[in-house]
Amino acid sequence: MTKELASKNKLAVRHYEDRPVGCPPGSDPAAMTKEEKEAHRDTVERLKELVEKAAKGDKKPLPEIRKILKESPELAWQLMDFAKYTEYHHTKMMVKEEGPGLKEVLKAQIAAMREEIAGDNPSPLERLLAERIVLTWLQIQLFEGLYASNMSKGTTTIAQGKYEQKRIDQAYRRHLSAIRTLAQIRKLGPAVQINIAEKQVNTAG
Amino acid sequence: MSPWEKRERGGLYYTRSRKVNGRVVREYVGSGALGELAALTDAQERQRREEEAAAWREERECLEELAILVDELCEDVETVARATLLAAGFRQHNRGEWRRRRDQGTSIKE
Repeated sequence: MTKELASKNKLAVRHYEDRPVGCPPGSDPAAMTKEEKEAHRDTVERLKELVEKAAKGDKKPLPEIRKILKESPELAWQLMDFAKYTEYHHTKMMVKEEGPGLKEVLKAQIAAMREEIAGDNPSPLERLLAERIVLTWLQIQLFEGLYASNMSKGTTTIAQGKYEQKRIDQAYRRHLSAIRTLAQIRKLGPAVQINIAEKQVNTAG
Repeated sequence: MSPWEKRERGGLYYTRSRKVNGRVVREYVGSGALGELAALTDAQERQRREEEAAAWREERECLEELAILVDELCEDVETVARATLLAAGFRQHNRGEWRRRRDQGTSIKE
């Protein structure tokens, strides 16, 4: 996260209003201290290492994975806050000089989309995955909008066009991957909705 | 190379250089007021292009920053999702579907 992005909008990110009872208070990623960021990063990195080992068939990391998920219920919420923070910057860039009206419309559309994808009474994992789908969708909209706008100006060079097309393709891949993961989780059913923020009572939906 | 060419009989002549089939071709525009006007037009066009390039660079840098944030986030979310599946007793079969481990009880039908 760059200093420039962080310093611009410290209070700009609103957290989940429907945050379930018992879940950790919202964290503004831009306002997180260096230590908090490092702790978050360390947890995710450790989890990543363990997941990679476990993916190779090693069962030894499983207890530690369970322990991390159990002891870090804030992890999913922190990631959701990061997603909202990133989302905010996307919308800001998309509306630019278009005025606050469009920004509100876009925000409402994103909120509706998020709700629809997450479904009724979503688990924290489903919420997180829904958030990722919304964010990657937003990224596609931003990139396609810029591409169309630059093309209509007629000033785009071939190299710029190629670069923008590549960026759009990458965004689509991210989006499809996000959808696939949520579909997999849903297909497997409620059995996987354990551990992650398990102490929370979900009152939303 | 300066676009103003000094003539032997005195005075300056405005020229434009451009590439045609890989070779630099010099176009002779004019001297005096005509040359000045052409030079001014070219300077404005150059400035416009430079401004556009700077705006493009700025936009690109900003988008790169955002893309890094999204990439990082997507990766982290994927890690948490996979960790949750592994913790719940599933394993990924050939980087594709997730199946319940045999030692975790009945398998999940696709």
